[in-house]
Amino acid sequence: MTAPTLTPRVEQLMNQIETGLDRGLIPASIYGDPQVYQTELRNIFGRCWVFLAHESEIAANGDYVVRRIGEDNFIVVRDEQGSINVLFDACRHRGVQVCRADSGNTSHFRCPYHGWTYNTTGELVGAPLWRNAFGGMSKEENGLVKAAKVDSHHGLIFATLDPSAPSLRDYLGGMGWYLDLVFGLDEGGVEVIGAPQRFVVDANWKSGADNFCGDDYHLGTLHRSVWEIGAFPVPFRENMMGYHIQASPGHSLSFSMAPDADEPGPKFFGFPEDVAERFTSGNRISPEQLEIARRSRVFVGNVFPNFSILALPMTEDGAKHAPTGVLTVRTWQPKGPGQIEIFNWFLAYKSMSPEQKDRAYRAGLGTFSVGGSFEMDDTEPWITVGRTGRSVAAELLDFELNYQMGMPGIGIAKPVDDWPGPGITYWTRYEEGVQRNMYRFYAQMMRAPKGEWPKLTFSGQ
Amino acid sequence: MYSKLYAKSAVMENEMRPLSTGSPEHVEVVDFLHLEAELLDDLREREWLSEMVSKDVVYQLPVRETVERARGRGFIPDTYHLNEDYGSLNAKVARNETSFAWAEDPPSRIRHFVTNVRVRRDETDADLLHVRSNVLVYRTRQDQTNPQILSGERADTLRREDGRLRLLRRVVLLDLTVIGTHNLALFF
Repeated sequence: MTAPTLTPRVEQLMNQIETGLDRGLIPASIYGDPQVYQTELRNIFGRCWVFLAHESEIAANGDYVVRRIGEDNFIVVRDEQGSINVLFDACRHRGVQVCRADSGNTSHFRCPYHGWTYNTTGELVGAPLWRNAFGGMSKEENGLVKAAKVDSHHGLIFATLDPSAPSLRDYLGGMGWYLDLVFGLDEGGVEVIGAPQRFVVDANWKSGADNFCGDDYHLGTLHRSVWEIGAFPVPFRENMMGYHIQASPGHSLSFSMAPDADEPGPKFFGFPEDVAERFTSGNRISPEQLEIARRSRVFVGNVFPNFSILALPMTEDGAKHAPTGVLTVRTWQPKGPGQIEIFNWFLAYKSMSPEQKDRAYRAGLGTFSVGGSFEMDDTEPWITVGRTGRSVAAELLDFELNYQMGMPGIGIAKPVDDWPGPGITYWTRYEEGVQRNMYRFYAQMMRAPKGEWPKLTFSGQ
Repeated sequence: MYSKLYAKSAVMENEMRPLSTGSPEHVEVVDFLHLEAELLDDLREREWLSEMVSKDVVYQLPVRETVERARGRGFIPDTYHLNEDYGSLNAKVARNETSFAWAEDPPSRIRHFVTNVRVRRDETDADLLHVRSNVLVYRTRQDQTNPQILSGERADTLRREDGRLRLLRRVVLLDLTVIGTHNLALFF
């Protein structure tokens, strides 16, 4: 197989990542270069497994939502047999959009142009005056085009456009263990509250992914206001205690955890005690996973490329309500090199009472949402990361960003040998190896020849 | 009341025509809405909250989707961008009073344009007035020349408390499905 043809500029930037990573340096231009972005759409979003929806959003047969792979619309629909299909939203006749609502329930999708009509598995079932117009033409060969592979994990639906992609389980690799730990804690699993909120930010998608790999250090400055209003219960310095984990190539996460197992403070990401009492190990998760969840104040992680997960104790009104566990997942949907559409979902464990779900939803909306006290500050710096990335100055000055925190001789983070889970683990969160892990895999995917995949496990694991 | 707003034609269902623009209630409501907009445009958020908002306030901005006409206007039940009470509004005002509210420090230039005010009496409670108004929020950040613009309708209920009107309920129905601003660190 031959390597994909990268433009000289993209080739140069990928070389710079690969040589710079060992020194903790990343070229800023990857956050704005239009050639890099075009390569990302094809080699990252066109190949990796990307998150689309949660099964609870399309619970009934015929339910559908429209979601994105890269910049392109796909219909995620549960068919009459209950199976989930991911269909490219383009009529096979002239390429017209066939699904014109964001969500709904239907038995078919009819193209508004000439009336080609498809069922919920994507099969062409008819068109007006069929015999006159198309009698003798194969319907089987003219169904809606499907994503190459679709699979789900704890109800989280992923798809890939690459037929050579590994299975979802293999793609997630070690990250699957940590997703189990969060989404499999409660026997009944999780469900989405309402519909995702969507908002547009003039930033590059990698800023969101990078942040959720485990950028815990920014809390002390960017989010300082949330301590002043009592929205988050763990002080900055204490919250830096915990583990940074490169779960498998590309996927990273972080746990906030006190040094002493019996230290008081939030457990199980702050979920209410009577909810946490039902969290058990068994065939879903191991006693080790349960113990990690028990000790954790915060879980934050990113499934490469753009699916992020956060669980932590929050409140929208510290004077009236104690912080409670909030679970949010989000995607950083690319809309050009300098823009993203954020899809933000709130989830709850199904077994929570309506009151507990409402409390978690309000706490989440008040903190990690377009109008939330945490998130409204996050988007500010990301906008100017993108501006720096687009700048001629960054290109001419070879401007590189510093990802050195926690490298040998820098700071206090140390590798951990006896961690029970998969991946490469550091104690204390003063560490940016989690992000370097994302960019290392990113550069490998950008270069990977068609049909070939970078290694999905760390050597020795 | 506000659940009717999700219906296909709230006006037709509500038989009661709005009060005349010359009625004392209408004049009082317009004065209220103008003063409110002035306080918010002048970043006097603390005064707005303490002088004009009821302690029992419900303040919501529902999530909207593109849906087929038969499904109505696309507001998703019980799903919000903002779902505030007095305490959470107070937390937002208090946040902006810290030195670390980066989202609005330096502050945006924000202007509220309020039009099409329609006032209706409550059918049973003489202390309540139901008000619908159109709102256009114009906002620029830093050196932006292309403004962020948010257009929508506000469905408010005002209540007379100790002789003065206060905001008891506000439902902001925006004319978009995807919020085109990088945050909602502002008040409608």
